[in-house]
Amino acid sequence: MSNYGTFRNRTKALPLAIVVTIMFAMFPASWLGWTSDIADLVRVPVTPLSHVGMMIKSWVRPAIEPSDLPTDGQERQELAVAERDHYRQLYHSQMLRATEFADQLRVLQSLPESALRNPMPPLVVPLDLTGIKPNDASGVVELKLSRGIAERILDGDIVLVGRDIVGRIARVGMTRVELLPTSHKDSGFIRAGIVPAHPLEGSRPPLLAEILLQPTSNGYLTTEISSTRDIQENDLVVLDDPAWSISGNGLVLGIVTSITSLDEAPLRNMVTVTPRQRAREHARVVVLGTGKEASQ
Amino acid sequence: MNVIVVIVASILALAFDSSFAGIFTLRFTGSITPQAMPCLVVFIALFAPETTALFVALALGILVDLSPGHGQLSAGAHLIGPNALGFVITTLLILKLRNVVFRRRILTICFFTAGAVILTAAVQAFVLITRGFMPWNPPAIGGGLGEFAKLFGTAIYTGLLAVPLGWCFLSTIGVWKFHSPTGRRATWR
Repeated sequence: MSNYGTFRNRTKALPLAIVVTIMFAMFPASWLGWTSDIADLVRVPVTPLSHVGMMIKSWVRPAIEPSDLPTDGQERQELAVAERDHYRQLYHSQMLRATEFADQLRVLQSLPESALRNPMPPLVVPLDLTGIKPNDASGVVELKLSRGIAERILDGDIVLVGRDIVGRIARVGMTRVELLPTSHKDSGFIRAGIVPAHPLEGSRPPLLAEILLQPTSNGYLTTEISSTRDIQENDLVVLDDPAWSISGNGLVLGIVTSITSLDEAPLRNMVTVTPRQRAREHARVVVLGTGKEASQ
Repeated sequence: MNVIVVIVASILALAFDSSFAGIFTLRFTGSITPQAMPCLVVFIALFAPETTALFVALALGILVDLSPGHGQLSAGAHLIGPNALGFVITTLLILKLRNVVFRRRILTICFFTAGAVILTAAVQAFVLITRGFMPWNPPAIGGGLGEFAKLFGTAIYTGLLAVPLGWCFLSTIGVWKFHSPTGRRATWR
């Protein structure tokens, strides 16, 4: 009987086994998760003996006390420095977090009381500008969609900075929310009212005019109004549009920045309204979300 | 070769390396600890048929790679290869040299064991560095003069441990049944 056949097969298998081992050695760690199970299986016969060995070792040579080491002082100092750095890092991170919360609180405190008419509490959403067109002041702005707030924001929700409306939610994506500024031409016509900037001073009526604002391509809103109306520069323009969320009524859209007479219609004036706040100039905005509360 | 004896010796060597060897640890010299597995690999490489020795070396290396503290990656995974390939290369070298040495001398086992530790570590380093060059793996870190000195200390200490272990192995060489039907016992020196 010859042993050559078996010998040849084993000779062929060896290079294959080595190649497979080399491949395993080059695999990324994420592909080697199964080895932990193999290691557990392999350790089954070894573990009892290993345990006995550890007991004998502990009995013969108990664990060394830190104070027995000659470099104990140095190591303790290094440990203390490492711990100090770690806690300092934690302290700074907590400080940053506290500052972040303080900023959010300031934003919420600056909201008008009318914002609380919204059935859901206002959401503070950080602004995440991924790219803007610098010369387009009314360009679309992207907001970061944090985890847990996706269900609370719906298309058309009003976005505020302080007491001013800066736009509406145009699209809620998987990870981002698009904010359409009020002065964006896609916002369409907006019904609004002009009110005095200082209603308690003078004898001007509380509602000066009801207007229909039209966004322009250069970041403003314009409207035509009868020249008999007592409109002045710096008068406030507030939202009064049933197509918008009711909680946004009365919030400021902008101020009157210019009033010019129309040559083609001498009895009418062209009023230009400029938003006081623009979303792209702030780090965070408040969304008056109308969606449902996220389930925990 | 008697497979049962090899399996039992492997289990004992693994258990020794992962627990009992701590008794011999030289704490004041950087925790230099002797290893039993290189002694076993050298002994098998000296006496077993070539292919068998290479297969056993590969298997023992994989077992070492799967041992706690060896090649551990994230999430409990183990890196298979550094010790396995190291033992195979070591065995290959011993297979080339075993015909020109006195195999049944304890001193031979001692020297080969010390060399095996260094050669295995060199292959380990090579494997880890090569692995680090792969774009999907983090680059290899570590090493330095301290580690090199510790490796030499471990090699010498393991060589010293090979004295009693080698004596045990040589005393029981009949049980291992290394001689094959086609082999010649007379070639043993």
